[in-house]
This record gives sequence, C-alpha cells and structure tokens, in this order.
Amino acid sequence: MKTVRVAVLFGFGINCDHETAAVFRLVGAEADRLHVNRLIESPDLLSSYDILAIPGGFSFGDHLGSGRLLGNRLRFALRDPLRDFVANGGPVIGICNGFQVLVKTGLLPGPPAGGDTTPDFEQRASLAMNESGRYEDRWVTLEFDPESACVWTQGLTRIDCPVRHGEGRFVVEDESVLDEMDAAHQLVVRYVDPATPKGEGRTDERLPYPTSPNGSARNIAGVCDATGLVFGLMPHPEAIYAKWLHPDHTRYTAPEAEASVPVDERSLGEWEGEGLQMFRNAVEHVRNRSS
Amino acid sequence: MHDVRVEVTPRLDGQAVDVRGNVVKARLLQDLNLNVARVRSICGFVVRSPMDAATLGERVDDLFVDPIIETGLLGSAWLGDSTQFPDAPDLVITIGFKPGVTDNAGSAALDGLRTLFPEARVEGAGVSTDLTFAFYGLPADADGHAIAASLHNPLIERALIQTGPGPDGWNLLGYPERPAVEAQPPATVDLEVDDETLIRLSEDGLLALNLEEMQTIRDHYRDPAVQASRTALGLPPHAPTDVELECLAQTWSEHCKHKIFAAHIHHRDEETGEDVEIDSLFKTHIMRPTLDMQEEMPWLLSVFHDNSGVIAWDDEWSVCMKAETHNSPSALDPYGGAMTGIVGVNRDILGTGLGARPIANTDVFCFGPPNWEGDLPSNLFHPSRVLRGVHAGVRVGGNESGIPTVNGAIVFDDRYIGKPLVYCGTVGLMPATLPDGRPGHAKTAEPGDLVYMVGGRIGADGIHGATFSSLELTEDSPSSAVQIGDPITQKKMLDMILEARDAGLIASITDNGAGGISSSIGEMAEQTGGVEIDLAAAPLKQVGLSAWEILVSESQERMTVAVHPEHAEAFEAMAAVHEVEATVVATFTDDGRFLVRHGEDVVALLPLEFLHDGVPQLRLESVWSPPTHPAFVPPQHVDHTALLLRLLGRPNVASKEDWVRQYDHEVIAQTAVKPFVGVERDGPADAAVIAPVHGSSRGLVVSNGIVPRYADIDAGAMVVAAVDEAVRNAVCVGVDVDRMAGLDNFCWPDPIVSEKTPDGRFKLAQLVRANRELERMCRAYRVPCVSGKDSMKNDYGTGADKISIPPTMLFSLFGDHPDVRMTATSDLKRAGERLYLFGRCRQELGASEVASMLTESGEAEGIGGTVPAMDDPEAQREAYAALSGEIAAGRIRTAHDCSEGGLGVALAEMCIGGRRGAMIDLDGLGLDGADTFGQLWGESLGRIVIGVEAMHEAEVCNALEEHGLTLIGLVVKGDRLVVEDGFDALIDVAVDDMVEAWKAPLALPVGGER
Repeated sequence: MKTVRVAVLFGFGINCDHETAAVFRLVGAEADRLHVNRLIESPDLLSSYDILAIPGGFSFGDHLGSGRLLGNRLRFALRDPLRDFVANGGPVIGICNGFQVLVKTGLLPGPPAGGDTTPDFEQRASLAMNESGRYEDRWVTLEFDPESACVWTQGLTRIDCPVRHGEGRFVVEDESVLDEMDAAHQLVVRYVDPATPKGEGRTDERLPYPTSPNGSARNIAGVCDATGLVFGLMPHPEAIYAKWLHPDHTRYTAPEAEASVPVDERSLGEWEGEGLQMFRNAVEHVRNRSS
Repeated sequence: MHDVRVEVTPRLDGQAVDVRGNVVKARLLQDLNLNVARVRSICGFVVRSPMDAATLGERVDDLFVDPIIETGLLGSAWLGDSTQFPDAPDLVITIGFKPGVTDNAGSAALDGLRTLFPEARVEGAGVSTDLTFAFYGLPADADGHAIAASLHNPLIERALIQTGPGPDGWNLLGYPERPAVEAQPPATVDLEVDDETLIRLSEDGLLALNLEEMQTIRDHYRDPAVQASRTALGLPPHAPTDVELECLAQTWSEHCKHKIFAAHIHHRDEETGEDVEIDSLFKTHIMRPTLDMQEEMPWLLSVFHDNSGVIAWDDEWSVCMKAETHNSPSALDPYGGAMTGIVGVNRDILGTGLGARPIANTDVFCFGPPNWEGDLPSNLFHPSRVLRGVHAGVRVGGNESGIPTVNGAIVFDDRYIGKPLVYCGTVGLMPATLPDGRPGHAKTAEPGDLVYMVGGRIGADGIHGATFSSLELTEDSPSSAVQIGDPITQKKMLDMILEARDAGLIASITDNGAGGISSSIGEMAEQTGGVEIDLAAAPLKQVGLSAWEILVSESQERMTVAVHPEHAEAFEAMAAVHEVEATVVATFTDDGRFLVRHGEDVVALLPLEFLHDGVPQLRLESVWSPPTHPAFVPPQHVDHTALLLRLLGRPNVASKEDWVRQYDHEVIAQTAVKPFVGVERDGPADAAVIAPVHGSSRGLVVSNGIVPRYADIDAGAMVVAAVDEAVRNAVCVGVDVDRMAGLDNFCWPDPIVSEKTPDGRFKLAQLVRANRELERMCRAYRVPCVSGKDSMKNDYGTGADKISIPPTMLFSLFGDHPDVRMTATSDLKRAGERLYLFGRCRQELGASEVASMLTESGEAEGIGGTVPAMDDPEAQREAYAALSGEIAAGRIRTAHDCSEGGLGVALAEMCIGGRRGAMIDLDGLGLDGADTFGQLWGESLGRIVIGVEAMHEAEVCNALEEHGLTLIGLVVKGDRLVVEDGFDALIDVAVDDMVEAWKAPLALPVGGER
C-alpha cells in the first residue's frame, strides 16, 4: 500500500499542528509537522508530500485580520509550489485559522467552476468577525452537501464538533457568488439545527445564534474549491477524533467502556470519533488515485 | 524615515458589518447606560519606514485591507472623506498606545510589511496602531471624557477626544515617540551612612529591602577579602555599584526569596496558651511532608527546586504543573497584567527540566463584586472593569498560545477591590527520557556552557516588578511595572525550544520572570557554581538602558538557555528558522562568582553564596486569638425555593459560561471532561480530564479548591476546605487517589507587624494555622505539594483606607486517570437514575455562602458559627478511594460535589446540566447533627451527590456503604426539582427557572447586530 505523506504546517502561532498530524497518523498516513520557513527555504519539499494541511491557531495573533499575514507569506514565497501542488491533484485542508489562510490567499473558494480552475491567488471571500463580537468555544452540528465533489467529505452526513474562533463569518461581495458556489456544490459544510432529522438540516435561511455561531451567510461552515481538492472549514473535525472528546460521552452516547477493547495508537475501535473519516477520505483518495 | 498613515474601515456595502463598533455600542449601554444610535470604527496604522506614501502605494492594501469587507485609505483620515463618512459624527475618540508600550498588532504589521517590502528590514522601522470610534446619535448630556475613560487605560494608552474637525481637519495620533534617554554609567552607592538613610535608600530606590538586609549588604563590603577581589577588577572596593544593589534587591525580594515563609516565627496562641518557635513555615509544613512522602512515592521526580514540580505519568511521559499569581500588575492594568501572568506561567513549564510543553491552563480569579456600587479609591478600577480586563488578557494569552484553559473559578468578595487575585496555572508534558538518553526532568549545565537569551528583547518595561510586588499598592505605583504580553513571540520561541530540546541541544533552561536575567542566570549559575555575564551583548528594544536596568528588566517572552559550545551552531540555526532571536549573553564558570561586565567594564561582582544565601532570616511575631462574629441564625420561616433561586444568582455560585466559553478549552484535542457538561453543555464540571497523548485514553485530572470565606473564622479551616475541594472535585471524575500531586498558592495580606500593619501578628498567626492544616491534610490525603508560590503583600493603601484581602490559598491538583472513557459528570442522565449523598451532613453553616448572603441582606446577624471541618482526613481518603474507584470502573456516570450553597445548590446544578427534574427526600440526612436548613445549605466537606443506574446499584452500594451513603431520591421524567424532608415539600421549582436564575446574573450581551 502506498505511503501517503502529509505536510502539516506549523510556526508563527499555528496551534493545532500536533493533533492535526496525529489524526492523519491515526488513519494510516505519515505526517510531518513542517515549519513554514523550512518550506520557504526549500519550496521543492512540497512536491514530496501528497497532502497539505494548514491547522488551526492564531497565526501572527490574527492581527490585521485572521490569516492575512500568514496568507501573505504563502502567497509571496510559495505561490508557484502551491499552485503546482493543487494543479497536480494534491488535497489541501485548512481548519479554522488554516481556512482563514486559504481564503486570504485566494486558494478558497478559488476561480469559479466551469473555467480554468488553476489557483490564481485572488481573494474572493472573507471570514469576518463573528456577529456576536466574541471568540467562542462551543460545539456545533454540521451537515455536508452529499453531491459535493469535495474529496474530504465523501460519505459524511452529519457530525458534531467544536468551533473555536472569533472570525468565522463567511462573507462574499455579492450573493451571486454564493449562488454559483452552491450550484457547483462548493458550499460543502453548513451549521444545522441538531433537532432536525439527520440529513435534512441544511438550509439557506439564517439560523439563530448560537446554532449558527458566527452569523455566516447561508450558515456556511466550510467550502471547497471548484476541483473539490482544496477544502476549508471553521469547525475542528480533528477535535472529535475519538468519542471520549464528545461532550456527551458520559451520557450513554458512547460505547460502554467496559465492553470496549482498550485502544492503541493504530486503532480506536468503536471509540473512533466521527471527525476522523474526513482525514481518512483524503488519504484514501490519494491511495486510489495512485493505484 | 517617513511616517505614513494608513486607515482601514469596514465597507458600507456588501456583507460587511462593523462588529467592533457594535461591541462598543453594546458596552456603553451596559456600562454607562448610554444609548448611542451607531458607532463606527477605523483602524489606524502609522508606518515608519524608509518608504514614503508613493512607494508604499496600493500594495500596502495587501497588508492592511481585506478587500471583501474593508476599505483602506493611504496618507489621510477617513473621517474627512465624504464617500465613507458622509455625516459628521457627534464625537470621535481615538485610542493608541503610549510610547514604549508593547503594540502586538504593530509588531505583526511590521513583520507583514517586511514580507512585502524588503526595504523595511532596517533598524528603526516600525508600525504603530490606533483605533478610532465615531459616535452618532449621542445623547446630548453624554460626557466624552467618561466614554473615553471606559474605553482605555491611561496608564498605558493615550486617547484623543474630538467633537469636530479642527481648522486642519480631524486630529490624528502620531507615532508614539520615546523621549531619548541616555545610559548612565554604573554609580557607586555609599552604604556607610546612618540607618535612617539606609532605609531611605531602599524606599526611594524601590528596593523593598529592610534595615537588617541593607546592613547585611553594607557589612559585606567591609570584608577585606571582598575589597581585595573588587580592587583587582577595578570595582569600588568599599561600596556596591548600583548594578550590585539592584541585583541583590531582586534576588532578595520577598517575591523571589519567600522571606516570610522562610522566617523564624515566634508563635503564641492565646486560646490554648501554646508558645513555640517555628524555623520556616515552608521547610516545616510544606517541604518536610513532601520529602517524607517522596520516600514512598518514586513517581515524584522533581519537587521544589525547579520552575515546576514534575511527576512520572507513564513510561514515556512525565507531567509537571505550576501556578503563579500576577496580582499587582493586574490591579494596575488588568489586561496586560493578566496576560503576562498566563504567558509567564507557561514559561515556567517551558523552563522545567530540559523543557516541557504547556498543555493545559487553569485560571482562578478573585475580584470585588461585579455589581459593586460603593466607593472606590481613586486609582482603582471598578471590579467589573477588572473582571473584563483580566478575562480578556487571559483569553488572548491562552488562546493565542494554543493552550486550552480547562478549569478555573471566579470568587467574589468586597475586599478584593483593593487587590484582585489572578492565579494562572499551567500543566506541562515532557518526555521521560530524551532521544539522547537524558531524563527530561533534570538539568545538565556544565562550566563553559554558553548562556543564551532567547525570545524577546530587553526594554525599559517591567523594571522593578519583583520588588514592586513585594510592596503594597499605592497611588504612586510605577507604570513601568506593567507590561503587555506578546503571545506570538512566545509561541515562536516555544516551538523552537521544544525542537531544540528533542534535538538534544539544551543543557539547561529557565524562564525570565521576576528579576530578569539577574534572577534567571543567577539561579542557573548555581548549577555550575559561577557565571560571567556581558550586558553589552544583550539585544535591547531601545538604546539608553543603563547596566542595572538591563540586568533586572523583566521584559517578557524570554528564556535563558545553557548550550554546550559544540551545539551552539545548530542551536542558532534552529533559532533562525523559527525567526527567534538567540544571543549569547553569558558563560557558566565554576569559580563561585556572579560576575557582570558591560563590554570592557566589570560592573558587578558578587559571590554566588552571598547572592543566594546572604539574606538574613526574618524574625517575626505571631499571636492567635480567634476572631469573633455574631452567630449566624437562619431566619424563622424560610421559603427554601426562593432561597435556592437567590443563591443560584449569587456571583460566587452563578454560571460564568459567557466568560469561560471565550477560552479555548479543547485545543490539542485532549479535553475529555470540559468546563461545561450536560444536555445543553452548560452544566458545571467539577474537574477537567484530559487525554494528552493522541490515540491513548490514559488521562490526567486537573482540579482546584479555593474557599477564602472560611478564613473569616479560621484561616486553617480555609486551607482544609481548599484541599478537600480540590481532591473532592478530582474524585468526582475518577482520579487515581494514589497518584495525585498538589500546588499551594498563598495570597496573604502583609503579615509583618508594623505601623502600617498593626494587626500583623494576627495575620501571621492565620498563616501559621493555615500551614499547619495544609500539612495535616496533605499527609492524610497523601497529596504531596510539589510546587507552590506565595504573594504576601496584598493590601491597598494605608491607615483607615487600607483594604486587605482575606487570607486566600488556592490548592491546585493534578493526578492520574486510568482511562478517560470511564468518568462521571455532574449532569443528571436518565429518568430512574437513583441519587445518593456520599458523606455526612453536619450543622456547619459558619462563613457559608448562605450565611454571607443573609447577613449582607440584613436577614441574619452575622456569619459566625461552626465552620466546616475535617476531623478524620485519613478516613475521608479511604472513602474517596472507594468512590473514585467506582467511577473509574465505569459504574457511576453522575457525580457532583457539594460546595458553595451546599446540597441544595449541588442538586440544582445537576438538574440544570441534565435539564431534568428530581424527587429528593432529605429523610435520613439528620443523623450527624444537621437540621433541615443545615442539610440543605450547610457546606460540610467530603460530600458528593452521585447518580447510579439500577444495574450497578447493588455493587456501588456495597462498595460505598461503610463510608456514609444515603439514598436521597431519583431522577424523574418531569422538569421540576422537588425536595421534601419526609413530610413537607421544602423546594418545588421548575428546572427552567433555576437555569434563568443561575445563568442571567453574569451573562454578557451578544455584541453584534446587522
């Protein structure tokens, strides 16, 4: 079986690099925490990886707008390697601050579907301050567009995971951009009301705070580019890699612990959390592509 | 150099919203009851660089402007632009930093500027930031200065208030210019003067040294051998340089040397007639018990001598924990003070052993009541302002550092108006063994090692922090003692240091906190027996610092690292990749000397032994006589339902969810029991449980105990309750009671009798009793204290206006958890779950929350009476072991301890978490002397309410019966909590009403609107 190699960026205030590398390892990939400057030093390094992950955090303290300063570094120092990576079919994920970075660099949502989808590094959307005016850590319920080409979300319907951000309100200049993205199934992840039947939660109608924690247009939690390879979302799927991280795990929603097998690093067994599938999807996509 | 102004404001079209403006609008309504129609915001930047506006041109938009939601302007003010600001605002307030204050956004902007414009990579380039608010629809009687005062802290910020443009348009804040300062050559301080002059030298110089200490220093310079060695190096032979005196003042400060805990105490007890001498409370009651326990606990790897205490966790990992206070700085600037508190204690962890990774924070705050309506001394902030500032500082410090805040508390009492307490704790994780075979917890410095200063630069900020915190707060407290943390500089340093650790490049490491490099290098020098420092090598934030200032400055975000010379190149290369400054400032020796040069000149020479062990032991007097309070007598006819709802709304009990939710409590993906539990995830958790190694369910428990109210009756009882609360909370989640370690953090009012402190003997007696009880509890519970801290001057002002805090000890605990999948939370789970009270109710209402509430409202005469006690802690430990074992075995999923407000409040919180009702009968709880009122609201220690499913009931009862287990009721399908005492309904209340009463008092307005 092909070894799938994942570059997990860190440095300058990226915080979730350890757990993001860990979840890729849990689904069988080889993951390296790679300092942004090591990549800038040797840009060719990127082509030796199959997947690129930009984890959450507070790069440069989110000063001047979340993700902007790290986005600029990538845009100016790694423009060509990043473009080639995506053009060559490499999956990219940005989580929370990583999503903000991808949006500020223009990798998300990227050029509109139907035309040349090679990254052009033009910013077309933004992640603005939460309407609540504050940073919050709270659990949300997400649903996925089943028709999306996004390689990361295949087969996913609904998951719970935390949001932990102050700037997560997805905005565009004009509603028509959202219409086009929706038509191309790029509005991959939405916040939904957990009381709705599973699979029926997605709606364009603005949900109230805190069901939609930030006031995003159409309750958007994450989007992909036209190719489905580049994916970003504000919530943290890696934070529910195991069921014991779910706030309800003491409420008889998790397997009976005494009956379950002890976990080890290679298999969480029935205690695997629902966020892990997202990372497995990308790893398997790379494997299937190369086999 | 050119100064070019750039302004950015949210766009008026598209989907942009001015959230910053909306937040200020909401805040003015809440704080000043001022209803403003609209507030708009403008972010301002002054770019100082070799480039003029034309060169910066449009590319500057790439840096400052988000094209989707913002619009930028180069070289002028948005307010004068009629396209974006067609209407004139009623009031404009611009806020920027004062010169020399850390401007993190400005530093980030400079970094970004240099990405775009390599020509900005020159010394002297910089970016300053400011924020302008334009107010529309302002009520006619609104006071612009009052609004400005609520939006900035004049100690660190400047404000520009305008009601209209001047002849040249709107005024703008310029680049904050520091007045030029010239470095002074080292001065000689003549100590051959009379005693009065010695004291004045200490006071005027903010040295915080007493007469005996000044005399000891003077005598040192009378020694002919000392004089000879000084002459040989060209130093004044008979007197210290200012560098030496400052260095001694820092090293000998109460903050660094814990002189009160080390003092010789003559203690008398007027109640019992006891009359004894105590040689150091620390050695007697804290260190000795831990060292005794260490003989049976091989997992205690490192206690007391490092920056934090280290215990073994599993074969691969060790864990450490440290808690610090940052009280005085937080009083002056709540935001900056608290932020430096949290990032400072993170560095303690990073500086433990050969470097540990901070993985969890705890925050415990003590404030004045947020709804305080009484008088305030002129230079103190309102408690609500302190709360907001401290909260914001800890939020930014913790969140930006990527360390989850997993547990904490906020305690309110009038007396914390004088000095808020800001306890910041951090847990760290380190490899048990490094790849090169060295144990992670031991330092390995050798003579000849290079000493690097890593991270931030040295500035004029933070001079005299250690000595200042050893004095009481006054109106003249220096602003230089306040700093603002820089989490990103620290995060870069942290990433780099942990990489260097794993590469085997670090021989020894410690953090730079109080006392700056004089303390950090001075303490590390003991590992090899000497050091030679060159202050001229240290990178500075600005020119003009004198030698003593460089030595003692506490500028943040710095670590001191010893590196073997053969690793220097690799270490520096690693620093370069991470964009971290690392500079050799000293070399370790073994000649017993602390030698400081500034370039060619020797500016200080102190024998290490004198520096560290020369401080004379204090001799203090302690006299105990119990304080008297009118006895608390519960009112005759009590409506217990109404009483419950009132108690739930007390700031000490009420939900802090809106505040705590702003802390990231689950970064690192390890938090298995979070601060909030239950159906709506808003019920209170007792302790945090984390599984720090990804893929493994092996866990760690973190909890806290703090009960300052009890000190009003007996500080000893206060400590007993704090230790029990921390352990009790940990038991609620199934801690392994054989693997727990504790931290004692004492915050006391000045306990040294003097003119300023006539009741010093009593306050010291409180400390004696506290320490004795700490030892009794720790030995019985087998919880060794592995690290601790004390802050002994928590007073404001003098004379009649003096405010002293209640004696307060925070007990923090960290312990093993065998498997986080088997744990319990406080929320009621399913209808039919049977509820038991574990533990016994005694009639213990003295200094209880209910007694305080009813005394404050005039419904009771006072808080006096029996304060909760723990007569047989050994038996309690056995009981806890049994209960914790049942939880860790997966047989109990519901557990919540009884603390403030007793059983009544505990039951209410469990209903809130589960959004479920319960039927409770108190019948059977009266066996240990408590009447109905005492059973419901008394605060007897050792009590935990548990919920058990029918399938486990027999087993659980069998295991716990002998420790005191009483069936009190069951969880019902309905939504009411009903409590009876066998006959009468005492409480009958809807869960939703309890939710409202509990959550409303400290709720925050949701700031934004479209």
